[in-house]
Amino acid sequence: MRRWILLIAALTMLAAACGEEETPPASSGSPSTPAEAQTAAECTESHAADLFQPDALTIGTNVPAFQPWAAGTGKDGPWEGVPDEGTGNPYSGEGYESAFAYAVAEQMGFSDDQVVWVPIPFNNSIAPGPKDFDFDVNQTSVTPEREEGTTFSDGYYDVSQALVVNKGTPIANATSIADLKPYLFGVQIGTTSLDLVNEVIQPDQQPRVFDRSVDVIQALNNGQIDGYVVDAPVAYVNVLIGQAENGVVVGQFPEQGEHYGAVFELDNPLVECVNLAIDALKSDGTLQALEDEWLADLTYPVLQ
Amino acid sequence: MSSTPPGAPSPADPMPVGDRRSRILGGGTRVEGRRAVAIALISTAVFFTVLVIVVVNSPGWDEFSAKFLDGEQFLESLPGIGRAFLVNIQLFLIAEAIVLVLALIVAVLRSLPGPVFFPIRFLTAAYTDLFRGIPTVLVIYALGLGAPALQIQGIPTSPFFWAVVSLVLVYTAYVAEVYRAGIESVHESQVAAARSLGLTRWQSTRYVVLPQAIRRIVPPLLNDFLGLQKDTALVALIGVIEAFRQAQIDSSATFNYTPFLACALYFVLITIPLARLIDWLVARDRRRRLAGAR
Repeated sequence: MRRWILLIAALTMLAAACGEEETPPASSGSPSTPAEAQTAAECTESHAADLFQPDALTIGTNVPAFQPWAAGTGKDGPWEGVPDEGTGNPYSGEGYESAFAYAVAEQMGFSDDQVVWVPIPFNNSIAPGPKDFDFDVNQTSVTPEREEGTTFSDGYYDVSQALVVNKGTPIANATSIADLKPYLFGVQIGTTSLDLVNEVIQPDQQPRVFDRSVDVIQALNNGQIDGYVVDAPVAYVNVLIGQAENGVVVGQFPEQGEHYGAVFELDNPLVECVNLAIDALKSDGTLQALEDEWLADLTYPVLQ
Repeated sequence: MSSTPPGAPSPADPMPVGDRRSRILGGGTRVEGRRAVAIALISTAVFFTVLVIVVVNSPGWDEFSAKFLDGEQFLESLPGIGRAFLVNIQLFLIAEAIVLVLALIVAVLRSLPGPVFFPIRFLTAAYTDLFRGIPTVLVIYALGLGAPALQIQGIPTSPFFWAVVSLVLVYTAYVAEVYRAGIESVHESQVAAARSLGLTRWQSTRYVVLPQAIRRIVPPLLNDFLGLQKDTALVALIGVIEAFRQAQIDSSATFNYTPFLACALYFVLITIPLARLIDWLVARDRRRRLAGAR
């Protein structure tokens, strides 16, 4: 039964995909090359058929959503913003990614009411295949490997990785990358942090690799690892709200040109519109203002 | 070791060679048997041809084979996963050795008769019920990240140690029940006979009941051993880089699922020869025991 449904779904999508290719030349005079002066709103209008649901912008993010990416209280959908627990509600429009998403929506010509948030686990968001959203914002670093299965927007935040350790342990005195070699590190699977540990730190011991970020943190709390590497903004939150009970951020690693991008289904044409929106938000200073508002505390001494 | 003297007519050999084949194929006489073989061959060929055609022509076949059957990825991930698989081998060899001993103790304790031993029977029953009921993955999670969280001086924090403890706890419960089934399958008259010969209860268990019981349960013991082998993959959850975790790492680094195929290959490479070996051992043991009876 389920297989039939899948088959029908697959056929429907195939039909839809075939249909798409025919429409653009018919609707717009200049096919494929985006006009220089086109705005995000115009772009969205011409791609209205590509929206996940009509007249709405469907945006995915993880549950729970964490500060400072989503802030604000209240309960909408599955999100419950509880400041003490470091969670926020993306519907609030507060927090960097939430505010960014509403700013993009506005550029694309959607009102705040037309923004629909859907809960998408991190690993699902970057898995290849059909997506249940137009785009997903979940502090997802853009990597060439991930780009094989999904499409990313331009970056909306440049990110460094940081090292969290327990206060008072020997590793807490480390000042350079060379100092870190003898220690045991933990990372979450499927993150860019594992590459950083293996290629930049090159520790003497094989790192421990966990499924979930909370397991990595628990391992540090247990003293099962000496430290863990994670995106600096995440490290900040882990320490801020005491998930890493005795944690302290030793420093961040040199920027590796890594940035967060919005995740799209592979070759979703809407990415063009979102990129136009991001360009506009960058050039009018909105993005920098949002960064100053929500992410000011997230920089640490750089380990060399 | 010969069961029948060469010249002697074997009276009613229970299973002539041809019979076994025709039983599998569903035929009767020899001529029908030959026809059955032909039909079976054709039907098998048709079945698999159709299956392959349907799968290969499915709309997603190209993407599927690129994502799941990439030969280059397969070869690339094979050595690393092989090294990681050594961790699985260590895990299941250590755990299995402990399980075989502990489970026997639990089973014998649970079989103790008499009202005095009620608390022991109760505890062993409670233990087997509990640990057969809790999913292994939860036990590994709870012990691997939970026990070290107690911060008790001297308690190991090594995930490998807690992985072994978890697997032992779960599989001892299963295997104890297998042992118990074996023990209970030995007829009471055996114990009565042993006791009447002057053997103590312990002696009759040790020399009469257990040897018969254990022989009967070798195949189900193997089942649990194979289960244990596969469940070593769950240890990935608490951070140990074993074969499955290595495959996951390769897979998430390359956006390709082929490494899982390489991982599966290692497990199968171990389990299939092991199963055949046990079959052979059981058959040999049976031949030896029945040698005198024929």
